[in-house]
Amino acid sequence: MYRYIIKRILFLIPTVLGVVLIIYFVMNITPGDPARAMLGSSAPQADIDKLNHELGYDLPFIQKYINYIYNMIVKQDFGISYFTKQSVFAEIWPRYVVTIKLALMGVVLSSIIGIPLGIYAAVKQYSLWDTVPSIFAFLIAAVPSFVLGMILLFIFSLKLNLLPSYGISSFSCYIMPALTISIPPAAMNLRFTKSSMLESIRQDFVRTARAKGAPENIVIWKHALKNAMLPIITNIGLNLGMLIAGAVVAEKLFSIPGIGSLIVDRITYKDEPVIIAGTILIAICFTIVMLLVDVIYAYIDPRIKAKYAKMKG
Amino acid sequence: MSKRLVAIVLVVLMVAGLISGCSGKPVTQENNQTPEERTLKLRVSDSVPSLDWEQSTSLRAVKVWHQMFEGLYGMDEAKGGYYKELAKDVSLSDDQLEYTITLQDGVKFQNGEDLKASDVVFSYKRAMKNPRFNYVTSMIEDVAEIDDSTVKVTLKTPFSAIDHTFFSIKIVSEKEVLEQGDKFGTIPHKAGTGPYYVTEYNVATNIKLSAFEDYWRGAPAVKKVEYRVISDDAAAIIAFENNELDYLEDAPLTDWEALLSASGDNNSLTKGNDVLFLGVNYLSPTNNNILANDKVRQAIFYAVNKKDMNSAACNGYGVETPYYMPPEYVATSPKDGFETYEYNKDKAKQLLAEAGYPDGVDVGTILTYGANTGDKAKMAQVLQANLADVGITAEVSVMDSAVVLPRLYDQDYDICIYADSNNFDFNNIRQMVHSESVGMYIVKYKDGPFNWKRLEELVDLGVSTSDIEERVGYYTELWSIVMDSATLLPCLSKPVPTVWASDLEIGTPVPSFYKIRTFSWK
Repeated sequence: MYRYIIKRILFLIPTVLGVVLIIYFVMNITPGDPARAMLGSSAPQADIDKLNHELGYDLPFIQKYINYIYNMIVKQDFGISYFTKQSVFAEIWPRYVVTIKLALMGVVLSSIIGIPLGIYAAVKQYSLWDTVPSIFAFLIAAVPSFVLGMILLFIFSLKLNLLPSYGISSFSCYIMPALTISIPPAAMNLRFTKSSMLESIRQDFVRTARAKGAPENIVIWKHALKNAMLPIITNIGLNLGMLIAGAVVAEKLFSIPGIGSLIVDRITYKDEPVIIAGTILIAICFTIVMLLVDVIYAYIDPRIKAKYAKMKG
Repeated sequence: MSKRLVAIVLVVLMVAGLISGCSGKPVTQENNQTPEERTLKLRVSDSVPSLDWEQSTSLRAVKVWHQMFEGLYGMDEAKGGYYKELAKDVSLSDDQLEYTITLQDGVKFQNGEDLKASDVVFSYKRAMKNPRFNYVTSMIEDVAEIDDSTVKVTLKTPFSAIDHTFFSIKIVSEKEVLEQGDKFGTIPHKAGTGPYYVTEYNVATNIKLSAFEDYWRGAPAVKKVEYRVISDDAAAIIAFENNELDYLEDAPLTDWEALLSASGDNNSLTKGNDVLFLGVNYLSPTNNNILANDKVRQAIFYAVNKKDMNSAACNGYGVETPYYMPPEYVATSPKDGFETYEYNKDKAKQLLAEAGYPDGVDVGTILTYGANTGDKAKMAQVLQANLADVGITAEVSVMDSAVVLPRLYDQDYDICIYADSNNFDFNNIRQMVHSESVGMYIVKYKDGPFNWKRLEELVDLGVSTSDIEERVGYYTELWSIVMDSATLLPCLSKPVPTVWASDLEIGTPVPSFYKIRTFSWK
């Protein structure tokens, strides 16, 4: 198992190199240059060319790529933002923490809401406890996040004046953004859990457990749910990964200074150091989340654990 | 069943408790604070990249910096023109090359140091090294200190638009800038002479300012100011309606009616200094150089229905304009004496037929930038429909400004919708028409079929005299040549919608450079 984890961590290296290469390639083929974005339309072309040269922007694509990798690995230097002249890492890290915090809240909320409702809907199939949440989940899944965000803003900020409409100055600022990003995944969790549980509770081992006289709680929570957890965990892991990069809608709507909105904003300024470093952090985080999902698999599913044990043996 | 009911009730109570417990009280409760305690909250739509005024020419940032820094001249948008700010007396030599400037008495920087001529020299030399400000410094030969309170600015050639330079270049404390070194601009400083200094700077979220009590005009009435980054328009409106913002400028026009009811009498819709216009690249190779045909370009211009554009792009609140710069704000801007291409569908069709295309023609792509639902994109769509009405077909392409602007500056487009802003002297047209402005203009006039030599001559003549009427004469001829070329068509002056809190007094609303020092709580 440890060998597998180390192997997966080592896999981060080609992932990061690949991400940087792709970003450099994309930035290279799009028109525009950072000097023009920095100096504006009033600066003469000669000065634009000079600044691009100083920034190393006129170097061949592959040379820029190698330089970046060298600075990143040898000097641990992610560069200076073209836009703010501040250290890229100093600028990105606080935003990254904010996004992680928001994404975790989103995932926890979506799990707390979606999974129990999904279990209950499966257990009470064809009852109102199944029909109402299922229809609601279908509806919610079709509503874009920003619409949900607007509705929350309207109710809790404008009408009730209970929650601040923007910023991160207090914990209460996170409630609406977290709900905005968690409700659509909660609907997905509900549907995944329900279908997975329905499959599980029809299995022979569940029938056997009931026949042996196990209480219904134990049958559902211990036998059925444990076996239904694999696709649910995969879904949660994917949700977390997606929210780290994809909370940008909530970040924009609620003016949350997160990593997604930062990258989107800086694309306009061709602020390559920030865009690349931000994307690297997201890629690393996504890979780690997927690794955690795999590790959790092994603890839940004895077959996977046995497979790793066999490999070790 | 009863257990389930209890569980459901508990969950509902928990969620309600979470929401209300986090707040406990309404999120806005500042109205019972004293004026000294209250913070004036304003919105910025995107991060202010630096606290150094030299790091951007973006109007968004410049507006913030204007609360901290001052120039030799100030700008009075309410009445028009410039006034002396840090300059007390200004005299010009007979050859119009030397400005001798005496500084105001008793001016202090926010760090407590007295303003000296050496600070002015330092500030100007620093700006002259910055290519971003080439458009306001390229005419300066030298800046020298005469004594502690007098500086001499020497020009390369007479340049009557120098007022804008004196306004644009802000004076900083040499000592403060040198002490902060490379960090200047990234951390709070007290390097300005303005009425506010920065106490907290977070590039991602907010900037906090405090009143400078030793400000040379007297301490401002509003003691604390906070700029908050709110990028989404809808969120900004809700924040204003929720009393989380006290002053909201550039408010979204789509919700103007709602803002009007929320602000009572405290609102204004000022004509802005941003002009949206249409550019045609006569050098485009599209459809066998179709846009090189004068009559086709003229047909395009006559087909433009500015009223429709106004309805779509500015909800009808903009002002249809034939001016490159609004004469209300730019005294040297020509008011008449040039072709204006009033909307005339029949004439457009006739010109098209005369050009040899009675059944219509394809002119390529209308290129613009910004959001797909933004004003420029909407204008492009209206233009597409207007052209279709007279038989001209064109596609619309909306992309990010980082992609589009370099293409415009390289003349790699057919037709574009473009915005120009922050022009306060007609000499700024140099950027659009002069051959030395490579990388700034979107239409290349040099070596073209127009009288481009006269255009450049008129640009130079325009700054050779300080007589306003004479300058307007030169610029009228210049603008007439441009309009006859049917390459640039001003369409709309954008409105500046502003709303402010019921207990805030702001004086006369202005389109760009509001001064918080003139604000007060009622």
